[in-house]
Amino acid sequence: MNLALRDVRRHLARFAGTAAGLGLLLSVVIAMQGIYAGMVDDATILTRAMHADLWLVQRDTRGPFAEGSRLDPSVEGRAAAVPGVRSARPYTYQLLQRAHRGAVLRIALVGLGWPDDPGRTLPLVRGRRLQQAHGEMIVDASLGLGVGATLTLAGEPYRVVGLTKNALTSGGDSVAFVTVADAELIALDQPAEAALLERQRVVERLRRTDLGRGQPALADLATDPRWRPPALASPPVAAVLVEADPHRLAEVRQVMRSWGDVTVYSQAEEEALLLAGVVQRARMQIGLFTVILTITAAVIVMMVIYNLTLEKTHDLAVLKLMGAPRPRLLGLVLQQAWLLGALGYAVAWGLGALLFPQFPRRVLLTDAIALVAPLATMAIVTLASLLGLAHVLRIDPSRALEG
Amino acid sequence: MTDALHAVNLTKTYGAGALAVRALDGVSLTIARGTVAALLGPSGSGKSTLIKALGFVSPADTGEVHFAGRLVVKDGVPLADLAALRRRHLGFVFQKANLTSFLTARENVELACEFGGKPDGKRRARELLEYLDIAGRARSYPEMLSGGEQQRVAIARALANEPSLILADEPTAALDSVRSRNVMELFRKVAHDRGAAILVVTHDHRALDVFDVLYEMEDGRVRPRASAPHAA
Repeated sequence: MNLALRDVRRHLARFAGTAAGLGLLLSVVIAMQGIYAGMVDDATILTRAMHADLWLVQRDTRGPFAEGSRLDPSVEGRAAAVPGVRSARPYTYQLLQRAHRGAVLRIALVGLGWPDDPGRTLPLVRGRRLQQAHGEMIVDASLGLGVGATLTLAGEPYRVVGLTKNALTSGGDSVAFVTVADAELIALDQPAEAALLERQRVVERLRRTDLGRGQPALADLATDPRWRPPALASPPVAAVLVEADPHRLAEVRQVMRSWGDVTVYSQAEEEALLLAGVVQRARMQIGLFTVILTITAAVIVMMVIYNLTLEKTHDLAVLKLMGAPRPRLLGLVLQQAWLLGALGYAVAWGLGALLFPQFPRRVLLTDAIALVAPLATMAIVTLASLLGLAHVLRIDPSRALEG
Repeated sequence: MTDALHAVNLTKTYGAGALAVRALDGVSLTIARGTVAALLGPSGSGKSTLIKALGFVSPADTGEVHFAGRLVVKDGVPLADLAALRRRHLGFVFQKANLTSFLTARENVELACEFGGKPDGKRRARELLEYLDIAGRARSYPEMLSGGEQQRVAIARALANEPSLILADEPTAALDSVRSRNVMELFRKVAHDRGAAILVVTHDHRALDVFDVLYEMEDGRVRPRASAPHAA
């Protein structure tokens, strides 16, 4: 006869209520683990999606995500010329916040090296890659824009042609991909008045020089927005992404490390920079919070199981007096703890399946969480039952003979 | 008749020094199989202490307890597995029925069968409940039963492992006189039908004629009382 199940049957409503309460608590613990895993995944998904072997960034910086990086665009050609390099493409990265149909959109804008890179490494779930140099964008589905939607940036319309899933930054912002040229246009965008004032300043500076006074037509040229002085360099890029022959990667890296204007990171190092720099503090905070929640859950479960055992003190004393074998009585407490843990975990998992997708931050339930969470739950309830088990051992059977 | 229980010169002292209380003071008694013995005495005379010692729950400090002819406790030291002894050979009936609250009447009896290693506990539980005329309430939880019904289930439970010895501690204290007498007669029936030795601690002097042997206890000492109507 299973005493644990008989006791549960008798106090079914109370037991179910306790399991539901425990489930709520466990769902918070699992959510914290999932948010943490989501944060780590978000932090690295963007670098992984680019499928680069090496990231070339501004010398002595940890760019382009952990800090700003400005790299001369000529680095792209230089990198492409290194023996063993399959491709080199520019990459820009900036954060924008724009109002769109009454909502605020936070966008991490990534520039792709069109036409070599139309987004071929991106995990598209709908639509297509970029097919023209200007006016198209691929966005993450979390932005809420569908394929065919139009977003106005820097005064120009950008049509969404493709959607990715879970392309997010470590801050949880959705990523949008455009060509590097478009990214620069958007980055260098100025209000009309500011552009006018800038042009006036250029003309005034020009007129103060002999060249300007001697060639007045130059002033007209300087105020033409379509004209760009050929002596001026193109705007800097944030990084250059390099793909190399796997067996020559070390050699390529060695060559690039000798350049005075770049720092070279491998894919793994770029991810480590993100995790160590950008995510570390949040990671520690969530980790600490998770530990506190886990301990809280363990203490609550311990008190619940202890109280359930305490309530049965007289019954247990009678059973002891009748000569009940000790394992039967300990089993009663342990089995109830395990049942409570299993039900609580089921409630937590069910709640999570319903509610986690609605969370503003991504809750990623990894295989490790799916495996460790139930095992940890069972370990916690087993540990938590120790107090109850100790009580069972302490019960004096002669209590049954008293009044 | 063979002896189910034979206690020799049991002593038990609570506390120490000036505060020491001698609860058992050289108690010796014998209960034969098939007899019902009553243990009478005022509160504080040591009856509960004696029941605990004879029930292998809290051994006496000194003295010997023989069970079915075998020495099982000597000077407070168990010479056998006392829990197993209780499980297989002893039955207890309490002042309150003390049924396990989360088991039905039938399950309470069935569990005792299981502890006592009796096969087919379900059938045996049903038979015992029928024997005690409480089969109609087999599926009821203890809180749904009246005091008398609970006590009958408790007696069925005490009989479940076919015990050689049943210890009953004021089993009729919570019952009216009619039900008290019924319970006492039930004990007598069980002792005679099943050959069990039964020791009943009681304050109730209205049903003393039911018992085969009467013991009186005072200040930790036990002496036989002569007026047992059924004494052999």
